[in-house]
Amino acid sequence: MADKMELRDVEVWDGNMAASQAMRQVQIDVVAAYPITPSTPIVENYGNYLANGYVDGEFVMVESEHAAMSGCIGASAAGGRVATATSSQGFALMVETLYQASGMRLPIVLNVVNRALAAPLNVNGDHSDMYLGRDSGWIQLDAYNPQQAYDLNFIAFRVAEDHEVRLPCMVHQDGFLTSHTAQGVKTLDDDTAYNFVGEFKPMNDMLDLDHPVTHGVQTEEDWHFEHKARQHNDLMTKVFPKIEAAFDAFEKLTGRRYNIVETYNTEGADAVVVCMGTSVETAIEVAKELRADGKKVGVIGIRVIRPWPHAQIAEALKGIKAIGALDRSSPNGTFGMLYNELAGTVVNSGESKVLTNYVYGLGGRDLTKVHLREIYAELLANAEAGKPTTPLQQLIGVRGPKISFH
Amino acid sequence: MSEMKKIKNLKEFSTSADRFEGANLLCPGCAHSIIVREVLNATNDDLILAASTGCLEVCTAVYPYTSWDASWIHIGFENGSTAVAGAEAMYKALKRKGRLKQPDREPKFVAFGGDGASYDIGFQWISGCFERGHNMMYVVLDNEVYANTGGQRSSSTPIGASTTTAPAGRVSYGEKMNKKDMLAIMAAHGSPYVAQVAPNKWKDMVKKIQHGLATEGPVFINAMSACTTEWKFLPEDTIAISDLATDSLVFPLYEIIDGRKLNITYRPKNVIPVKDYLGAQGRFKHLFKPENKHVLDEWQARVDRDWEYLQRREEAGV
Amino acid sequence: MNNGWNDFEIGAMLRSFDGAVNGIATTLQEDRPYSKSNSFTASVADWRIEKPIFNKDYCIDCQFCWIYCPDISIISRDKKMVGVDYDHCKGCGICAEVCPTNPKSLLMFAEQEDEDKALAGWPEKEKKEN
Repeated sequence: MADKMELRDVEVWDGNMAASQAMRQVQIDVVAAYPITPSTPIVENYGNYLANGYVDGEFVMVESEHAAMSGCIGASAAGGRVATATSSQGFALMVETLYQASGMRLPIVLNVVNRALAAPLNVNGDHSDMYLGRDSGWIQLDAYNPQQAYDLNFIAFRVAEDHEVRLPCMVHQDGFLTSHTAQGVKTLDDDTAYNFVGEFKPMNDMLDLDHPVTHGVQTEEDWHFEHKARQHNDLMTKVFPKIEAAFDAFEKLTGRRYNIVETYNTEGADAVVVCMGTSVETAIEVAKELRADGKKVGVIGIRVIRPWPHAQIAEALKGIKAIGALDRSSPNGTFGMLYNELAGTVVNSGESKVLTNYVYGLGGRDLTKVHLREIYAELLANAEAGKPTTPLQQLIGVRGPKISFH
Repeated sequence: MSEMKKIKNLKEFSTSADRFEGANLLCPGCAHSIIVREVLNATNDDLILAASTGCLEVCTAVYPYTSWDASWIHIGFENGSTAVAGAEAMYKALKRKGRLKQPDREPKFVAFGGDGASYDIGFQWISGCFERGHNMMYVVLDNEVYANTGGQRSSSTPIGASTTTAPAGRVSYGEKMNKKDMLAIMAAHGSPYVAQVAPNKWKDMVKKIQHGLATEGPVFINAMSACTTEWKFLPEDTIAISDLATDSLVFPLYEIIDGRKLNITYRPKNVIPVKDYLGAQGRFKHLFKPENKHVLDEWQARVDRDWEYLQRREEAGV
Repeated sequence: MNNGWNDFEIGAMLRSFDGAVNGIATTLQEDRPYSKSNSFTASVADWRIEKPIFNKDYCIDCQFCWIYCPDISIISRDKKMVGVDYDHCKGCGICAEVCPTNPKSLLMFAEQEDEDKALAGWPEKEKKEN
């Protein structure tokens, strides 16, 4: 039996500590992991818990991120609670196995501390790795601060392991801005945290020796499509009700409310920015200040990236005239992911909206309040004009002459 | 510790109930399934199995059929070792936590991979598993070529073999590199037991598999798997070709205990010339042209040298 | 087999058996509750061009054919060779090749060959040439 850890009601934790504490509290059976900046402290903290008797599962320090997820897949198929953490290049190395984990319907939880992708090499936070995972068949939750990184881990285990879901889940947080920034985090005691997620219930487990099972078959053109269709269907129809229920239960337990799409000051707003990660918090601050000046602006934060909350976002955008999609990843030859996803969502809304795209913050470049004020000014002008008054895509906060497209 | 299955002779062995099934899609005459049968039939223990992508995997778990009567997992080309290591870690965790469904049973963890999956693309994963000391057995089905994808060279392909990526041609005798000495590499990991086996020598194989399964820690087995399709011989000759390989000492049978002590486990009564082995396979037929005689001579010299080395090491007893 | 995308197990998972099994390593094929997903229930008989025919008159139950059959198609029970499983035999010919008796107890014939006819015309013992 692992020892319980006494926690204060509010601990000063960075995002990595918050995620690792949640991992400890849910009593994971196997963690197979490999360190990489900026998620390394999650793995180090977990090793520390093990060394001090706070964890009684297996902790396998493998030789690469690919092996980390491979070990997680083997362990999860064997039948138990499994999680790991990674970032950036490590995430990229893992990509092959991400598809295998989701295709085999294994409820692994992966903490992704978002970081840019080389080249050029960069250790700081942007959303390139998070975007890379978006077609991998995983559920993706996004935390904007350490408290959320803690809370969303419990949601992740609860939803992923539900037998009607059985899909792996990523919990994202911004590298350094969240992972290494200590803030007050309201804690759950060990028993309450564990009970929220509950005991792991095995399904199709290899270690059930009386029911031999074959995992990881080959399907060619005669069967592949049906299996992919099933997985897509389950992502599209089964995940949101379970997330919603988990959010409700979590609110009942803690008083902290989460929503699939987070909205701030969107009531009666003319213009909103849609963004993710720590930028949501900066945008809220600016929107509040602008509201005080009588400007009708708001913020929409994406909490669940996959499955894409099409209906919830369409609802949140009702009546809004101008939208700025803020993408923290280089689109490399097209519009940003958020722009494209939002375009798909609003095009059939029956309302005329002006949608523009801002690419910002690559490789950890700051998104400042000044940037956001400029963005809001442009969006309000778009709302007023009923058409774009700027190029559709602009890169902001980059040196040299203004760079924009379309 | 479960009791070791008694296999005194072939008649007794033939009472085994196979846990590997027919109507798999392996080629007629494929040695892979002969090896898999000998490995699985060597024990009555519960088994948790894994396979890397390759002939064995694509031929035994094609939806909607499985040929496996024990739990089995495939993830990718490079990670069969880590798949079973992950399962073994889960077994240890659940045992400690008292959550095993059948707590009185002790399954064995075995991964299979081809030489491409083991010598090449999955090498790092195997190395990691062995360094960490998982309680598992890794079995290479060594057919010295990427057979599943149509016969490309691997680092196990022996010198002079013609493959689709290193074919023999007007100015080339085919593969230029010697076969990688995987057993030495795995012994250097400090593995408690590594061994080379061949399906034609079933008794030697069963003994080694039983020893390996009874050994605590990561065990490495390199099994020669004669490939009718890529070595280019008739399907009925799989055992005959295997006999030529072991009797010419091209594929010597030995074991290394604790990374140090080497035992030769098969000494042919009549050692046959290497060229008899090479001449029986289409992949080497160009070596019998006059301009390639030097390759044949080098082959024989190398096999003689390697045999001498194995004998000296065995004598040294260290 | 299953028809639509919505009525198979998630993750393309397959079960070897219907229901629980215990001690499968000591349970013979005829006593196993194979699931319809087990390849045992399938056949590769149509792969064969030639088939092995077993003549028990000469068999010494050495079990060479059993150990070297790649396709679990030599049926041995109680240490005796019983016959060939023609659902799973691919006709590779290894069994006939490794058969040590004189004449052989297993020989390869064209797939359409009549078994009685083959047995009636079985070759004589070969004389050793001195």
